[in-house]
Amino acid sequence: MYPASIDRQQDRPTRFILLLPLLFILSGTLIRFLAFRYAQPDNDWTNYFGAMCRWDCGWYVKMAQTGYDPFPVPGRINAGNWAFFPFYPMLVGLIGKLIPIPTIVLASLLSIVTAYAAVVAAWPLLGRNIRAYTLYAAFILSGPLSMYFTTFFTEVMFVLLTTLAFVYLSRSNYLGAAAITALLSATRIVGVFASLAIGVQALMDWRRDTGSWKGWLGGLLSQPRLVLAIFISPLGLFVYIAFLNYWIGDGLAFSHVQRAWGRQVGNPLTYLWTGLTSWPTVPWQLVSNSQILALSAVVGLAMTGVMAWRRQWPAVIFALLAIVIPLAAGLASMMRFMAAMAPITITAATLLARWRWLFIVSLVGLLAGSWFATLAWFGGNVALV
Amino acid sequence: MRLSERSPLTLGAYALAAILALFELAVLWQGLHPHVSDNYRAYYLDRSTTCLPQPVIGAYTVGTELDFKSGGDDTRELRPCGWDGPAGDGMHSIGETSLLRFELGQPQALTLMLELTGSTLPGPPTQTVVISANDTPIGTVEVTPDQTERFTFAIPADAIGADGTLVVKLDYPDAISPGPRTANTYWRSVKLTAGSLTPAI
Repeated sequence: MYPASIDRQQDRPTRFILLLPLLFILSGTLIRFLAFRYAQPDNDWTNYFGAMCRWDCGWYVKMAQTGYDPFPVPGRINAGNWAFFPFYPMLVGLIGKLIPIPTIVLASLLSIVTAYAAVVAAWPLLGRNIRAYTLYAAFILSGPLSMYFTTFFTEVMFVLLTTLAFVYLSRSNYLGAAAITALLSATRIVGVFASLAIGVQALMDWRRDTGSWKGWLGGLLSQPRLVLAIFISPLGLFVYIAFLNYWIGDGLAFSHVQRAWGRQVGNPLTYLWTGLTSWPTVPWQLVSNSQILALSAVVGLAMTGVMAWRRQWPAVIFALLAIVIPLAAGLASMMRFMAAMAPITITAATLLARWRWLFIVSLVGLLAGSWFATLAWFGGNVALV
Repeated sequence: MRLSERSPLTLGAYALAAILALFELAVLWQGLHPHVSDNYRAYYLDRSTTCLPQPVIGAYTVGTELDFKSGGDDTRELRPCGWDGPAGDGMHSIGETSLLRFELGQPQALTLMLELTGSTLPGPPTQTVVISANDTPIGTVEVTPDQTERFTFAIPADAIGADGTLVVKLDYPDAISPGPRTANTYWRSVKLTAGSLTPAI
């Protein structure tokens, strides 16, 4: 990941930059649609968006339609939908009041638009490198994990907001980053860690401007924009806590309800090691699902290491916490979490774009992988959950 | 913009930050002091039970023998929590406690029959099941893995509520974890295949 330019004109996307992702929207939709027809030949083609909506997607559709569960949960289950953060599903629900089309169709179209915006917004962070940008656009819109960004998951909004937060942050625009982080903290729990990235960026700026650490605390507190930004940035999380206090009497219900899913807090390293050493039991299988999930976390940590080597400390602190905290609750959904970590995937794109041959191999791999991963998605592969 | 400038904008920014800080502190305090029902607290907060009772009607006619296997009787309205199924081999217990709720209309002395099979997961040689009626202990049985047995328990009339409500609780102190690092909400013990309440002789 590279810092955005202070001069916004330099970062302004050209027509080519705006058009290229449209090509991947087309290719991605075509690949996923053909995989849908191949996997479910008896299903009507008009059910494409509905068929793509699997796992947590169903929860989001219901949330957009009926909002948050009361307690006891009407479906007489222990798993209330308080676990899911509100910003994206409620946004879809709100737009759904204005545009009365089926929720999953509306959400899928909105996700594609959001994914497009996320790709274009990442242009400066990709070092304005065409090859890196192409790979990133292919990954988000037409890659093996593009279903997360083109159906109804909060991941797509998380990617857009994270990207914007780091664009603002690299220009030391604390208030802009804070406003985006406020929304980010209402999108997924780990979004609130971008607040710490703002603090780290401010520290780095102080060090750069003064040449020393002396008087840093007073120096930071004497910046009213920064102080205001620090308290604005976690606002989305606090508003959600306030809502849950009012709605069911437990502001931390999003955390407590994890018990219904059997999430066990443990040592992240133990979870990682157990996953890596869970060898496949099926003879022809190269890697087990647990290994795939553990390897996703390892790749995430490796990219965080690359960012540390590049001294991108705000992104490092954000990525590290956004990997380790979910890892402490197990490996479930780890691939989805890593796919939605913009600093990690952007860094990976910059590395894979370094050599032309690697770029071509990666691009072909992403597009071909989309077909197989979509089939695995329809097949219910738990590594993709 | 710096604090030293003391412009209205600067002071306004600090004032707004202070208001937000107070709001966030107040929300956090509320979040740390939840106002919830006893059932909610026991399951989600204290984690003192794995069985969160869901509202059920509990309609039941004394003397009816219920089939808890798939394709048998619809027993959803008798099972507040702690059951997974039905499956072909019965209703699987899930967690460390299961409940059955019966609305009988009036208190009366009864005989409870439960047909149970022990879980075949690797674990102790038998599954201990402690049974109570409206929190009055009525018996403890040992259930053998993969063996189906019928057990009967006497329920005195005074153990049943004045409104005729009977909640039968099955506690599983030997419940088995089906895998490493599996939460106790997913532990297994027995399978319930049949049950009935008949008037005490």
